[in-house]
Formats: sequence, structure tokens, C-alpha cells
Amino acid sequence: MTFESICEKCEELLQPYLDRELSEAERQEAEAHLDDCGYCRKRYRFEVSLRRYVRSACCSEPMSAELKAKLSSLRTPLA
Amino acid sequence: MAEAETDARRLATEARDRVRFEEEVLELADQVYRVARRLVPSREEAEDLVQETYARAFRSWRSYTPGTNLRAWLMRILTNLNIDRGRREQRAPDLRPMEEGDYFLYNRLEETSGTEDEARIVERLSQDSIVDALSNVPHDFRDVIVLVDIGDFSYQDAAQILDVPIGTVMSRLHRGRRILKRELAETAVGEES
Repeated sequence: MTFESICEKCEELLQPYLDRELSEAERQEAEAHLDDCGYCRKRYRFEVSLRRYVRSACCSEPMSAELKAKLSSLRTPLA
Repeated sequence: MAEAETDARRLATEARDRVRFEEEVLELADQVYRVARRLVPSREEAEDLVQETYARAFRSWRSYTPGTNLRAWLMRILTNLNIDRGRREQRAPDLRPMEEGDYFLYNRLEETSGTEDEARIVERLSQDSIVDALSNVPHDFRDVIVLVDIGDFSYQDAAQILDVPIGTVMSRLHRGRRILKRELAETAVGEES
């Protein structure tokens, strides 16, 4: 297999790798390639940063205290 | 007399179980809200959806099997309500061709950045542009991204929550993330060129 085609395979494995959904053999294959290949490693690090960034952008707005109080008020009253 | 005592004990046990259930469900409220906020367009709709989810969860507490994944059980109520209530915006299916691969966004940003520092490259994306880009992803794809990337659910949990096969979760995630990247590239690179 050429290095380019290994990079293509790595590109396909990257998301399930980050999701921790690869089989053990695939995980080892991805990690071995990431150790060897600066091109893919750079893109891997970008994906890690991107995910963190997406999460912080999407989770920056906390639930209001009013909503919390409303949810508590929905509880079944104690007899 | 003995029967009355047995009944009283049973009722007391049930009341205790219900109180514990309600407390555990309330502890998950922040996580439920975070997911709801990204499934629907506005804060008000997210708040309504979360309230309805909690009202239904408290009503149907007996259908929850103790020891199973309570967070996934709640999310299933939430996503079903979201579908039932017709909150989902109607949108034409996204038929534009997919980008070549997963490295697409990095490659586009790098070639227009003049730097290879991936931490600086990601900072070219504003937080607002990420929220906008996610809201532009068609809902079937967005639901899966929200559950896996924001809700931290496994593929298997997401499949159960959405009641679709795990292969569908994987293919929607695959395509959805690429649509998200295309949207982000259009915002980040498009505005500058």
C-alpha cells in the first residue's frame, strides 16, 4: 500500500477513532500511522481542537434558573 | 391487618423510588438542555421542549428500568417529542455533492491562512459561525452530531435514542460532519475571498 493510500485510510478512520468506536485492530492501525505521518497527525490535532471548539461554542449558554425551578415544580407532590 | 401493612410498605417503597428517580432525572437537566438547545432553533423552544420532556418523564417514571442508561432514556423522550410536535423545520434535502474527505476543512483553512499551526487555524472560526453552521445542517444529520459530539453518546446509544440502526447513525454522522465542515469553510474562507 502506498503512503498516500494509507493516509486516505487514516482519513476515513479518524472520526470513529476520535469517537472511540474503532475495533482494537483498527485503532492500532490508526495510531501506528499517526505516529509515523506528520501530515495526518497535524490534521488529527486540528480535529481534536475543532471538536473542543464546537462543543464550547454550542454549550456556552447555560440553562436559566427559572427553567430549573419550573422543572422541579413538575415533580409529583408528596402525599 | 397484615394486608394493610403490606400495602402501606409497598406504597412507601414506591414513593421512595419515585423521589430518587426524580432527583436523578433533575441532576441531568443541564445536559438535557444543552442537547435540546442545539436540536431546535431558539432558546424559548428549547425551554418548552425540556419542560415537556420532564413532564413526560415524571409521568412515565415506571417505564424506566432502574440500572439502565437514564440519560439515554430521557433523550429518547426528548427526541420523540421533538419529532411529534412538528418542531422540526421543513427543509429541502441537501443534495449538494459531498466534499472529498474529512481533511477538507483543514486543507481549505490552511491554504488561506499562511500558517500550519492547527491551533491558530481553528481559531479562525468564530463561535457564532459554528453555532450558525450547525443550525444549517439538515436535522436528521444534526440530531446525530448533537447526540454524539455534544451529548457524548456512543453510536449504539444514539441508535437507540433515535430508533434507527447503528449503520444509519454512522452514515448520518459521516455525512453530517462533512456538511458542517462545508458550512464552516464557506463562512471562514468565503467571507474573506
